[in-house]
Amino acid sequence: MRAISSAVGSLLTLLTLLTLLTLLTLLAIAIAIAVPAVAADRDVAVTIYSDDLALVQDHRTIDLSNGRQRVEFKDVSARIRPETVSLTAPDITIIEQNFDFDLLTPAKLMEKAVGRVVTIVRVNPATGAETREQAEVLATNGGVVLKIGERIEVLRDDGLPVRVIFDKVPDNLRAQPTLSVTVNASRGGTRPATLSYLTPGLGWHADYVALYNEADARIDVQGWVTLTNSSGTTFAEARTLLVAGAPGNVDSRRRSSYQQRPTIASAGTESGSRERIGDYYLYPIAERTTIANQQTKQVSFLDVRGVPAEHGYEYTNGWLATSENPQSAKSIYRFSTGSRAGLGDQLPAGVLRFYLRDKRGDPQFIGESRIEHTPMGSALSLATGDAFDVKVQAIVAQRTRRSKTEWQTDMKYTLSNALPHEVHVALLQAGLWAEAKIASESQNSVRRSADVAEWSVAVPANGTTELTASFVTRY
Amino acid sequence: MRQLLPLLSAVTLVVIPVVARCGEVAAGEPTAIAVTIYRSPHRAAGALALDNLNGFAFVNETRTVTVPAGETRVRFEGVADGIDPASAIVTGLPAGVIEKNRDARLLSPSALIEAARGTAVTLLRTQAKTGKTVAVSAQIRSGADDGIVFETADGIEALRCSGLAETFQFGTAAGLSARPTLSVLVRSATPLTTTVTLAYLAHGFDWAANYVGQLSPDASTLDLGAWVTLANSNGVGFSTAQLQVVAGRINRVSGAVEPLDMGAPIWARCWPRGSTSTGSALEEFVVTAAANGDWEMKTLSSMGGMNARALTVSRSVELEQLGDLKLYRVPERTTLASRQSKQVRLLDRTTIPVRLIYLGEVRDALDNSGRQARRVLRSTNDVQHRLGLPLPSGEMQVFSSNNGATVLVGSAKVRDIAVHEEVEFELGEDANVRYRSYLVDDGPTAAVLAPVAARDVLAATHTDPARAVEVTNGSNAPVSFELSLYLPPGARIIAADAAIDSKNGRPLIRLQLPAHGVATTRYQTIRTK
Repeated sequence: MRAISSAVGSLLTLLTLLTLLTLLTLLAIAIAIAVPAVAADRDVAVTIYSDDLALVQDHRTIDLSNGRQRVEFKDVSARIRPETVSLTAPDITIIEQNFDFDLLTPAKLMEKAVGRVVTIVRVNPATGAETREQAEVLATNGGVVLKIGERIEVLRDDGLPVRVIFDKVPDNLRAQPTLSVTVNASRGGTRPATLSYLTPGLGWHADYVALYNEADARIDVQGWVTLTNSSGTTFAEARTLLVAGAPGNVDSRRRSSYQQRPTIASAGTESGSRERIGDYYLYPIAERTTIANQQTKQVSFLDVRGVPAEHGYEYTNGWLATSENPQSAKSIYRFSTGSRAGLGDQLPAGVLRFYLRDKRGDPQFIGESRIEHTPMGSALSLATGDAFDVKVQAIVAQRTRRSKTEWQTDMKYTLSNALPHEVHVALLQAGLWAEAKIASESQNSVRRSADVAEWSVAVPANGTTELTASFVTRY
Repeated sequence: MRQLLPLLSAVTLVVIPVVARCGEVAAGEPTAIAVTIYRSPHRAAGALALDNLNGFAFVNETRTVTVPAGETRVRFEGVADGIDPASAIVTGLPAGVIEKNRDARLLSPSALIEAARGTAVTLLRTQAKTGKTVAVSAQIRSGADDGIVFETADGIEALRCSGLAETFQFGTAAGLSARPTLSVLVRSATPLTTTVTLAYLAHGFDWAANYVGQLSPDASTLDLGAWVTLANSNGVGFSTAQLQVVAGRINRVSGAVEPLDMGAPIWARCWPRGSTSTGSALEEFVVTAAANGDWEMKTLSSMGGMNARALTVSRSVELEQLGDLKLYRVPERTTLASRQSKQVRLLDRTTIPVRLIYLGEVRDALDNSGRQARRVLRSTNDVQHRLGLPLPSGEMQVFSSNNGATVLVGSAKVRDIAVHEEVEFELGEDANVRYRSYLVDDGPTAAVLAPVAARDVLAATHTDPARAVEVTNGSNAPVSFELSLYLPPGARIIAADAAIDSKNGRPLIRLQLPAHGVATTRYQTIRTK
């Protein structure tokens, strides 16, 4: 070591060899820095919920001396919720847990040096000659005031270069927030310990790839679990368990209650063979995996082929809505998650992407839909986008007052189809509440709920169908 | 010098094995690339904005991969920056695809500092006057966010607080890659070379149809031509690619991709630097320009270059039905470069019969201020009108030639128009044609136009005062005017000067105005009490 250093010293003047020097010194330091006394046999288990929350169980071996001491835990999630930390190990009592977030910065370093002695190195700008002096830091209010011998100076008041060298970094300043636990051990020696805590920043959802075959109306569905890690920490070789469900979390803001088009037409009642914990299904990842910080990771969990699927159209008109131009109907794909003629699995929440083969046989993306946690045996009805050729124009043809309390609204719906084959459109008139009665209609409707009337309208190839309905409402 | 070289290679050997535990191979360069561009789901119509492409693309490519037996991480380099990693599909690998990964952390100055924390780096100090550089080994102790604290043999110091030129040199790039990289962990029993297909969705693309119409001097026919304008704002180009665009709005729920960590700028924040002459001040300056700012600048500067559009292909795109969407295929393979827009011919139709109509509307019963009429070009998208093909959404410029001079009549947003639909291109308002609605002096009796019928009296109705609409034509050509009446609920017209038609559930009055003509029409409504 010393030999290498002296060799380095003799080379210092050769500026062209700087790169080599860098690597050399790098090597020297890499050897010199002691590895922190953290046990090597570390075992991390991560249970990830679908609502940006994870339970980390960090098993490691810790070496304690007899009596009271402070144990620092490195490599915990940078977004750890310190109030959820619990440490279990034999023969210890926990006195207190601390989470220090006083971060090391130049300004803090100087602030903590008030009243202490630092070394200042004045560098002559012309010659590079260095003059070393000891200085006491008196204050850092707006500028650094130093006491050098009997003189008092403002640091770099003349703008000339002055290096300030501190002896050490104060104990409570850290490069990153650090968790420490003060324990009282009744015996010395190594022992297994488990540190468990909750952290946001780890999340997962499912991604599905669905290839629809137009010729025989079947889909192939593959499911992938997608893990994301923005916790600021890498979890190496972790046993990972995914829980399909979001436990009630008082801290997280709930998602907006904005009503999307429902994707589950009827909820299933079948049970799958997957492992459960309480009401949640578990998706274990078979092998240990490294969840790197800022990484998106995908692992396959579902591959089903040739499931019957149906393609149709749907258009929902709001109450008293007139469209100035024909509006595209939604393109809908329906299939089951049941064990018979279905996917035969419950689906964790995620995004289902639909693909279709073009005339050359290449798959093309045709749209995607978010799905909720879907029980097995459910009927799914997913919208992929707007149909270019199937459109609906809804018009409030007339509103008349029938009496003091009753209004009649005459609606006219024009459904057009520019495709060379007949299509069926589920036409929904929403916003009926319970009181709207249908006085007359050109085709029989089904009242899906008190609020929604539905017509199944056949639209001929390259043709239009007109549908009229009169609603009577109270006012 | 020569003596030192073996030492260097020894050091390199020490550094490299840290990077990967299992084998890592890079997949070959992409071949047989196909790019299908979808327009922004939120841009209903209109032209695309090159500096903000919110559409996306489905990229399909094949690559050759050679993997040894055992576990191997296969890296796919040069995928689009905007890749949505969750959408990636890798096919053709042996059965054991264990997992797919994408790292969002890119190589940047602050990522280097973060990665080097606690490890050895080299601190370089350069003398401003002499240019002499001194190298010292150092260890970074703090993060990059609020100034950098490092340790040398001398003790603890802060970067760039001394007034000297100081910087770090790093031994490795810490396994950070410059470009977003997708990797797949595979397991193979035997070494093999195979062709894999990688398909993924990526944002930073968009396309629109650009229509150019030439209106005949008498505004009775339109010659219509259109381009497909497609654009790629990714830093990655696609060479000899099969390009396709898809018309129709499709659902896109996962538009938000995990953002790439481009690294924040490193601020050399110091302790308070007030002096006796200036008072208190914190000194800070950027040590290293952020990759982030650099990126944006690059995008901006390349945007300027995008104005020079590459008009390469004169053959029209080929149309095919894709489910409920329309797929347009560029007939020849072509290269879509990074940050480029490209135009391909969509259609050409001549002498389409059109009508130029001026529109007005009365919405508020008390609205009597004058307004400018809106102009629309109306036709029908069928074979009789020399159209009869899907018209994808975009923007349209309409020109007219008058005595040899070409003028821009107006520009219109075009929505997706299916075959057999009525086509209306709104060209904006025209100051020459104005209309004004007002109450006709109701005098002693409200019924100006017509006496109230007996059955209406019995039905306990209320007759509104009559209204008049005055239309003035300041142009030197006759004008067709359509007035749409937005009546209050339950109201209907009982009398009017002109014939009352109906459109979209509302009464419509059609008027013909001669050049420099004025027309006034009156109507009266009745309501149930």
